[in-house]
Amino acid sequence: MAMRQTPLTCSGHTRPVVDLAFSGITPYGYFLISACKDGKPMLRQGDTGDWIGTFLGHKGAVWGATLNTDATKAATAAADFTAKVWDAVSGDEILTLAHKHIVKTVNFTQDSSCLLTGGNDKLLRIYDLSNPEAAPQEIAGHTSAIKKALWYNNDKQILSAAEDKTIRLWDRSSMQEVKTLTFDTSVSSMEYMTDGDILVITYGKTIAFYNALSLDLIKSVEAPAPINSASLHPEKDFFVAGGDDFKLYKFDYSNKEELESYKGHFGPVHCVRFSPDGELYASGSEDGTLRLWQTAVGKTYGLWKCVLPEDLGAENSEQLYTSPPEIKA
Amino acid sequence: ERLNMATPVSVLRLPKGPDPNSRGFDPRSPRFIALCRTSIPASAASEADAEQLQKEQHARSVLRETFLRCLLSMTNKKVQFRMHENVKVEATFGASDIDVLNFQVSDLHTPIGVQKEALIRCQDVISFTFDV
Repeated sequence: MAMRQTPLTCSGHTRPVVDLAFSGITPYGYFLISACKDGKPMLRQGDTGDWIGTFLGHKGAVWGATLNTDATKAATAAADFTAKVWDAVSGDEILTLAHKHIVKTVNFTQDSSCLLTGGNDKLLRIYDLSNPEAAPQEIAGHTSAIKKALWYNNDKQILSAAEDKTIRLWDRSSMQEVKTLTFDTSVSSMEYMTDGDILVITYGKTIAFYNALSLDLIKSVEAPAPINSASLHPEKDFFVAGGDDFKLYKFDYSNKEELESYKGHFGPVHCVRFSPDGELYASGSEDGTLRLWQTAVGKTYGLWKCVLPEDLGAENSEQLYTSPPEIKA
Repeated sequence: ERLNMATPVSVLRLPKGPDPNSRGFDPRSPRFIALCRTSIPASAASEADAEQLQKEQHARSVLRETFLRCLLSMTNKKVQFRMHENVKVEATFGASDIDVLNFQVSDLHTPIGVQKEALIRCQDVISFTFDV
C-alpha cells in the first residue's frame, strides 16, 4: 500500500528560518539548531523536532548557526555584528566575538577548539576558543560578503563561498589561497560532511557535486526551480534540495532522476539538511517553520509510526493521528 | 498534478513547541544532569571534601535566599537601575520572571520621558538600589 509523506512541522520561530544544522550522533540522540531572522536560534531534538531551548542574547537576525559534533556547544552568526558561542546543554552564552559587520557563517573544528567565522566584512576569522581574548587570525581575499565558510580536509583547510561568485580553498597554516572555483552566479549553498568525499554546491537551478580532494566536478543536476540548499544522504544514494518554488525535491544520486517532490512550506525553502543517520531531512523556510521529512516514507522512526492495515481499528493504547490538519499561515 | 490516493503516514503526536514562559534547557533532563558541570567548585573536584561541600552549599543557599527576599521586598518600591551604556533609570518595581531575564516595572523615568509600563532586560542591568 503506497504511503504519503507526512511532514512534521516545528513551529516557534516568528520570522524566516535561514539556516539549520545537525549535530553528530550523541549518547542522547542527535540535535538540530535553527537560525532565524527573529534573532532567537532554537535547539531541538533531531529525531522528533521537540523544542529543547532557545538561545537568548542576540540583538539582530541570526544568519548562521552550528553545533559541535557532540552537541555540547553551539555557535551563531548574527546581524548584530557578533558571533556567539553557547553551552548547548544549559543554553548559557559562553562567548561574544565582536566583528565589524554582519556575521553570516560559523563553523567549529572537529575538536571544537577553534571557530571559523565569515560575513559582510569579507574576512574569514579563526578564533582559538581556549584563548578568546586573543585577536583572531584573519584571512582576506574575497571581494564581496562571505556567505558560508567551512573547515575542510580534517581542519587543515578552509572552504569559503562569497557573493563575489567564487568558492575559495585556503590552507590553514599558511593562510594562503590554494584554489578558486568561479561561477556565473552567486553560490547559494555549500555542504560538506566531515567524513565525506563529496562537496555539494548549489547555484541557480543547479545542484553540483565535486570531488572533495581534487575539487573536480563529478556531476551536476538541474532542478525545476532555483535552488537555495541541497543535502546529500550519508550513504550517497539520494540528495534533497529546496528553493524558491517552496517545494522539497528528492533525487536519486546515481542516475540523477527526480524521485519525489513535496509541497508543504508556504514560502521559499532556505536550507535543507539530512540528519546524521540519514533517516530524515529537515527544511527551513521563509514561512518561519522547520519541517522534518522521512527519507523512507512509512517507516517507523521518531514520531512517525508504520501502521499496517490489520492494526487499524485494533485495540491500541497509543493514540494515532493521521494527516495533521494543515494550518495555513 | 497526480491525484494521490495513498494513505498518509501516521504520527504519534506533533513535535513539542517552545514553552512561552521559559527559554528551556530543562535542568531535569538526563542530558543536563549528566553533562552540566556543577557550579560548586568543591564538588567539581574529584575528591569532594564533604565538609567543604556542605559549607559551600550553605553559602549558596544563603545567597540565593537573600536575593529572592530582596526581589520580594522591592515590590512596589522605587528602584534605581544602573545599566550598560551609562544608563541610570528609576522605576517602581513590579516583578521578575522566573529565569530572571526581565523585570516588570511601572513609571520608568527615562531621559526621553516616563514609560507607564515597561520590561527591563536583566542582562543589561549592572546593579540596582532601593531603600528598604
